[in-house]
Amino acid sequence: MSLLEVDAVTKRYGPETLALDSVTFSVQPGEFVAIIGPSGAGKSTLLRCINRLIDITAGDIRFAGVSVPTLRGSALRRHRIQIGMIFQHYNLVNRLSVLENVLHGRLGYKNTLQGILGLYSEEEKREAVRILETLGLSEQMYKRCDQLSGGQKQRVGIARALVQQPKMLLCDEPIASLDPSSAKVIMDTLQEINRSTGITVLVNLHQVDVALHYAKRIIGMNRGRIVYDGAPHNLSSDQIYHIYGSEAGELILDLKERYAA
Amino acid sequence: METTLTSGRIRVRPRTRANIVLHVTLIVLVLLTIYGLATLDTRNINIFTAFGDMLNNFRIVLFEARLKNLSWLELFRELMITVALGLITTVLGAIIAFFVALFAAQNLAPRRVTDAVKAVMAFIRAVPTVLWVLFFAVTAGLGSIAAVVGMTFHSISYLVKAYAETFEELDEGVLEALRASGANWWQTIFQAVVPSSASALLSWTFVRFEINFSVAIAMGATAGAGGIGFDMFMASAFYLDLRELGIFTYAVLIFAILLEWGATRLKETVGVKRQA
Repeated sequence: MSLLEVDAVTKRYGPETLALDSVTFSVQPGEFVAIIGPSGAGKSTLLRCINRLIDITAGDIRFAGVSVPTLRGSALRRHRIQIGMIFQHYNLVNRLSVLENVLHGRLGYKNTLQGILGLYSEEEKREAVRILETLGLSEQMYKRCDQLSGGQKQRVGIARALVQQPKMLLCDEPIASLDPSSAKVIMDTLQEINRSTGITVLVNLHQVDVALHYAKRIIGMNRGRIVYDGAPHNLSSDQIYHIYGSEAGELILDLKERYAA
Repeated sequence: METTLTSGRIRVRPRTRANIVLHVTLIVLVLLTIYGLATLDTRNINIFTAFGDMLNNFRIVLFEARLKNLSWLELFRELMITVALGLITTVLGAIIAFFVALFAAQNLAPRRVTDAVKAVMAFIRAVPTVLWVLFFAVTAGLGSIAAVVGMTFHSISYLVKAYAETFEELDEGVLEALRASGANWWQTIFQAVVPSSASALLSWTFVRFEINFSVAIAMGATAGAGGIGFDMFMASAFYLDLRELGIFTYAVLIFAILLEWGATRLKETVGVKRQA
């Protein structure tokens, strides 16, 4: 059974803008999927529809057999717990320590009062520390997040998502603000998580070469529509050209050749 | 477009409607000032003698200050009453304002709610503190209770605006991240909103404490709330004792400086507390 089924999902902003235009695809457990496309293609909107940070206009999304668009209150929280999210700008609380930020991933499991006071069980703390160790952040545990480098912040973001014990990770441009070597560390980490724990990874990327290198499957989007869905090796230059439109075409083809070489 | 004057010089500032209005307003104000001074009724007071007397009064207040009707201990007690009035209204105001401000920040509450809360707060703020105190004096009687309620009331409206604007400057992404991990609204408030804005909230609260301290002095006299303001009123209007007034002025000044110093220290401590 598919872990995620996106069925004819449409999202409108006002009467004019069509962000998603009957998008349909499904994801099997353990897949590593990259979504590529130009800015404004609807990639971020699509990810946010999956964990209901954005409400869809029409269609249906089923996650682990549960229909997502109608979820409310605690059922919606239970749905979000199962999906970890990683952001381009990390979205950490800068004034709190690394460990406190990681433990935020457990808030969905806590009642309101425990969450307000930040009361976590020893088991949860141990798990958070273990994840930080595997991500090489054990020395930064008590540092404030604004003292970290971009690559370290993104690893804290990953740790916060992992401590949720999610079935799937949604990554919204995780390496767009990082230098090449930090970007490689982050992508390797995501790949390692996908391989060793079997957590499904759905990642929005700007960099086509990175997508081709890491993903087992590529979804190409343009203007709210899926224009390509398949294995990376089947993606031809013409199709990349089609995804990115005429203007960016030549630049992308350049990258593609370098990747092939 | 006209860029040069008839003399051939280049105009630096554009001749816009706003500029013309500004110039006309300034000219009218200057003319009114000249007219006002020229037609002033001086009641045969010589301006130089009057100015000299004023400086002499300042000299007495500042350099011949001494206590007469109160002991030093009583002075301290009166000062503390004023401080307490400022402090209790600030603390009560801050606690209530924090929760109200959550519903006045557009990134935390629905637009309809924030608009309503902001409108009510703007109305309360538009009326001066003194008028609120007199308003509550109708039911509570002129005295400390009316002063506390009225000052708290105005503090709330001031702090709600300040707090809500602080909340609205928060990084939207952080709130999104916590929502995405399944956190509910109250958890998001206390785990993301409060830690991110704590030092700004504290500094706004201190600004309000300084305001409330000076308002408390005025309330001591006008609303009969007691404290050093009342003593100043008695010394100046009843006993005409400028020398005692001088001591009261010094006491207030010294305390205001201490307050400022303490506020700076506390803000530094909170700012770096977590960096260790």
